[in-house]
Amino acid sequence: MKYALTRLAQAVVILIVVTFLTFWMQTLLPGNPCIVATGGLTSDELVAKCEVDLKVGENVFVRYADWGTNFISGDLGESYVNGRTVWDDLKQRFPPTGFLFLYSQVVALGVAVPGGIWAAYMAGRKAKRNIPTWLPFAIVGGIVAVSIALGTSVFTLILLAIFATVVIQTLRGGAAQDQLVSASAFFLLSVPVVVLAIVGQWLFAIRWNLYDLSGYTPPSEGLFDHVKSLWLPSVVIGLSLSPVYLRLLRADMIQNLQQDFVNVAKAKGMPPSTILLRHVLRPSTLTLLTVAGLNVAQLVNGAVIVEVLYDVDGMGSYLVSKFLGREFIVVQTLVALIATIFVLANLAVDLFYGVVDPRVRVERSKG
Amino acid sequence: MTAISRSDGTTGAGDHLVIPDGGVPAGPKRRKGELGYRLAVGWLVLVIFVCFFGDWLWFVKDPGTLNASSGIKSGPSGDHWMGTDALTRDMFARVVSGGRESLMIGGIATAIGMVVGGLLGLVAGYFRGWVDSLISAATTIIFAVPALVLVLFVAALRANSGGQSRTSLIGALSILAIPPITRIVRASSLQWSEREFVQAARVIGAKNGRILFRTVLPNVVPALVSFAFLALGITIVVEAGLAAIGGSIPEDTWGKIINEGRGTLDLQNAPHIAMAPSLVLFLTVLALNWVGDSLVRKLDIREALL
Repeated sequence: MKYALTRLAQAVVILIVVTFLTFWMQTLLPGNPCIVATGGLTSDELVAKCEVDLKVGENVFVRYADWGTNFISGDLGESYVNGRTVWDDLKQRFPPTGFLFLYSQVVALGVAVPGGIWAAYMAGRKAKRNIPTWLPFAIVGGIVAVSIALGTSVFTLILLAIFATVVIQTLRGGAAQDQLVSASAFFLLSVPVVVLAIVGQWLFAIRWNLYDLSGYTPPSEGLFDHVKSLWLPSVVIGLSLSPVYLRLLRADMIQNLQQDFVNVAKAKGMPPSTILLRHVLRPSTLTLLTVAGLNVAQLVNGAVIVEVLYDVDGMGSYLVSKFLGREFIVVQTLVALIATIFVLANLAVDLFYGVVDPRVRVERSKG
Repeated sequence: MTAISRSDGTTGAGDHLVIPDGGVPAGPKRRKGELGYRLAVGWLVLVIFVCFFGDWLWFVKDPGTLNASSGIKSGPSGDHWMGTDALTRDMFARVVSGGRESLMIGGIATAIGMVVGGLLGLVAGYFRGWVDSLISAATTIIFAVPALVLVLFVAALRANSGGQSRTSLIGALSILAIPPITRIVRASSLQWSEREFVQAARVIGAKNGRILFRTVLPNVVPALVSFAFLALGITIVVEAGLAAIGGSIPEDTWGKIINEGRGTLDLQNAPHIAMAPSLVLFLTVLALNWVGDSLVRKLDIREALL
């Protein structure tokens, strides 16, 4: 309990400092913020209203306190370009981003958990078949030569080469499969979200026509259409998140596999799948949770880019449109909001440890 | 703080994340790892050389010249290795000059991050106490804002008058690079400051500055350098992301060229405009990660990695 309170206090301090700094930076802009922030695109009435709302001319602490109380009470200000309140916009913009976050986490964990378990289980095992090192190179080289002779596209060629590598590594078995999974994770980790999104768009929306770039459909208009409107952006964000989970899960599970309780379980004849899921995966969920909390930042980055690229009317594209429109007052409020969500998510993860892991509860009650 | 001790003494969760390398070497075998490492270094040297000396290389055309005879948005050919763009300019030349901009922005931001973050981390790890608390608190606060949003916000404020400028972008990116480098260096500095030779230096009456720069700093440099490769990759990717959503500088960067070719029609009829810079960007980031990762493994650095 004492621990929870300390963490809560810390989170509150961080939030106050972050929001104050962003607010203060925004007020440092020269000129009347009401005119600067809207680029003179607005009517005199709105500027006058804005000046009253923002208490222009007062000192920064007074203005921050005013902004802060409004922020906490849910009044996020309004856009002085069109007079709409930020809250109204957000209510409309939140569902797509919320679903995007949810689905991409599902995709990321769906890829990373089986992959990580498999890699950890296979790591350090002996290969089943002894395939010499030169053979895969020869086969891939052969495929390349034949494709060039047949005049297939570079793209098909790459796919074939990847397929051949997967087959060979699978045939090898044992540690080779761990290498395959780890190397794929490493490659995936190095693909920038922008590149992944562009390639996804090119392949699935244009070459194969499996995704419509028509924007978001709410679930109320049919679940199928809803999933259809979000699957590609979710897969893109999910894939970009998954290697982070996978690598940590693999490392953590390899450590757990060396524990005595795993030997005991083996000795009493427990099947490997039960050992993996019940005795090895369960302690690793803690690590997974921490990363999930930290990954919210990655999720936001991905969402901003993917929403703009795929024309999803979510919070990310809202932020970008306000940024491009130079409405700094709104941008600052949104940054504060995102930071709040991020800090609270990490706080929740931290407090949740105790629930998941009894060892943590004991340690915390001691210290 | 929230670190939980495992039975084998490693920390599992909380402040510090363990590098994904739990006893068993990850990835390819040693010999193959060497090959990949050399390929990665080779690619980086090639990209840096061609990007920065492109003006003097015979095979790099002028990125501004129009080649009306080659046609608009024509695909890759012997004459134009990466095709041409909407104005019939040579794509390869544009990718080269865009790369110069991308690498320079990322490189300067990372360098600022290394100097500032390195000094902060060094001081925090050596002096501990309130200095450490203050610096750690500052990094935690910057970490509370997701990277792209932070850069977007800082760059937007700095660029308020007129268009986005290179300086404001570099400033924003370096704010992004400083906190993770500070953390890495702090962890390393904490360890080294405990060693006997540092205490010996203190005993013989060396001043703090001398101890820091002559005994602690040289030992912290490996961690700093290997992380710098990863940080350079991150800054380049963030800049590309920013450019792809239209928030970067008016000059060509890899991200900006991708943004230019990402329209549905262009992707359908002239995918090379977006794909060429995407591929180069991916390979460069892959090489940077590979080199950074190999160095981390070779030098056996096991500190916080975010």
